Amino acid sequence: MNLQIFLAISAVLFATGLAAVLSRANAILVLIGIELMLGAANLNFVAFWKFSPSPSDLTGVMFALFSIAVAAAEVAVGLAIIILVHRRMNTVDVDDADELKG
Amino acid sequence: MSEFLETAPVWLKDWVLGLLAGFGVPGWILDLVAAGMVVGTCIGIFLGLFALMSVMERKILARCQNRYGPNRVGPFGLFQPVADGIKMITKEDIVPAAADRVVHFLAPVVMMVPALLVLAILPYGRDLVPVQLDAGILYFFAVGAGTEVAVFMAGWSSNNKYSVIGAMRAIAQMISYEMPLVIAALTAAMVSGSLAPQAIVEAQGPAGFLPGWYVFTPWGFVAALIFYTCALAESNRCPFDLPEGESELVAGHLTEYSGFKYATFFMAEYIGMFAICGLFVTLFLGGWQAPLPALGFVPSWVWFFAKVCAVAGSMVWVRATLPRLRIDHMLGFAWKFLLPMGFVTFLAAACWHYAGRGPAGWLASLAIVGAAYVALSANFSRRFSLERRVYQFSE
Amino acid sequence: MIQNILNELAADPWGVAGKWFALAPAAVLLLAAAAAVVARNLVRAALALTLSFMALGVLFISLGAEFLGFVQLMVYVGAVAMLIVFAILLTRPDRLRRTATALRGAGPAAGVVIGLVTLGGLLGVISTSPLAAGTKCAPAATAPVARIGEVLMGSHVAALLAVGVLLTAALVGAAILAIEDK
Repeated sequence: MNLQIFLAISAVLFATGLAAVLSRANAILVLIGIELMLGAANLNFVAFWKFSPSPSDLTGVMFALFSIAVAAAEVAVGLAIIILVHRRMNTVDVDDADELKG
Repeated sequence: MSEFLETAPVWLKDWVLGLLAGFGVPGWILDLVAAGMVVGTCIGIFLGLFALMSVMERKILARCQNRYGPNRVGPFGLFQPVADGIKMITKEDIVPAAADRVVHFLAPVVMMVPALLVLAILPYGRDLVPVQLDAGILYFFAVGAGTEVAVFMAGWSSNNKYSVIGAMRAIAQMISYEMPLVIAALTAAMVSGSLAPQAIVEAQGPAGFLPGWYVFTPWGFVAALIFYTCALAESNRCPFDLPEGESELVAGHLTEYSGFKYATFFMAEYIGMFAICGLFVTLFLGGWQAPLPALGFVPSWVWFFAKVCAVAGSMVWVRATLPRLRIDHMLGFAWKFLLPMGFVTFLAAACWHYAGRGPAGWLASLAIVGAAYVALSANFSRRFSLERRVYQFSE
Repeated sequence: MIQNILNELAADPWGVAGKWFALAPAAVLLLAAAAAVVARNLVRAALALTLSFMALGVLFISLGAEFLGFVQLMVYVGAVAMLIVFAILLTRPDRLRRTATALRGAGPAAGVVIGLVTLGGLLGVISTSPLAAGTKCAPAATAPVARIGEVLMGSHVAALLAVGVLLTAALVGAAILAIEDK
């Protein structure tokens, strides 16, 4: 039960999120993929903290805590943008939002 | 004698474990048996309280409305839960044809599991906490988040417009009222210096002139009222029971549930109500502490359950008295009154602590809380003109 | 023979049950994430994502960061998942457009190929890195709440205040973006 197992789990999770972001058309599914990638990064931080030489510094845990807070803010703003796009263009397809003019 | 009663549950468990160890049972099975005994006792007690509550609520509501409640089934109707149980189990379980079967099946399970999990951290007596967690209060709210997922699953899987609208309203209500709830709980945790429930109970120490419970301080009283109101909203009790009101959206997110699944939702709601009453007692009413040192001969777990039953009874009383709030009034109340009031109470508690926890602290926190209350409730007052009533009788 | 396996498992610093306490939520996490990515139905994808968040929270708790696990459950399951669900229900697609869970033009090929290439690269780095190879865990790596409080208010107080400002800005921004102008 060493560090490599947790890093491998987080790598698989990251790759799953990446595949979702690159291959799905619905903006909300892209956001789901982004959340999976952020979760994988948090898992990496906590795994490195657990096996670090001085765990009482709590660096990994602090980083993951702030990452959770920032991810929550990002999801809120991202979903507000998606709802706004849906209201203007009546679609949440990422391929349809391809004009710079609103 | 009171010493023996006080430690009776722990003594009983140790006696059973000693008996099994005498038979040569290996260590890990003893751990499993110990855990099983604790879990089984907790769940058994709360299921018994649920059964008692379901009949006592109907009888208290009935007496408030000048009628008898159920009084046919046993002495004073006390075996009514048995009859209700038989009815629920033998009802036909109907699932709508276009419903999502897996999610429809899992929603009651996902609702029941958090309600049972939160019973693990409540301090039932002096040494009677099933799980000692450093961050027990946070665990309570983290596990309670699972209830919102269950409400959504129930509403959406029924494939019914009214269920979805009811579920959305229920989730909006739960999320809005969760914020003042957490802030009021954090006020008590901040003054006690720990997030562990047993430390919070011990900090509401031995009684002086008044018991040292937080409800007897100005900021504690306001925080307790905020917590109580949000607890009513989180368990979908009147006056916040719009999500499940019969005259509003049939039964909201529970429309398409019948038989045992409905009984599971019902059970989860009541056990959740007891759990949050237990947390209220832990945070503000001193947990298992006796009000006067002279009454210390009564075992601590008797005090805990007496207080929890009193708070639950008061919730039934509130249900009999107050009418239901409309959804926009409900959400406005949470965001425009309870949340700012919660922040101000947090500030008042800090002022009380830094002014020395004596009379100066009392005055300071009372002034802060009073000013905020007057300022915030000016938002909600309307000008009534009280005119003379004219009665019109039919001829 | 069973005694040998039990001895081997017990010699692990995590103990007999500890290994499964970490591996079971990890398995649930990966399966739920895969289900969230592959699902046809949008709400089922959101529910699978919620399950993966719960599994990640339990995984944090099993790694000893209990406070972080509870915060993950409270923030992600209680708030982020509910936000995603609300957004799904508020952006239902029209009948005439393509279905909500269609794939992009190149199909799944691009996403899967790039995902697999990334996975291969990461696993290669993990297995050959000298840092990760022989590390044994420090069994007393705990994060007590008092210590987290000291670190948050002590060395990380600037980050704490910055996160407060960020969350307020995000709250106001999201409300302004989504509010309907009547």
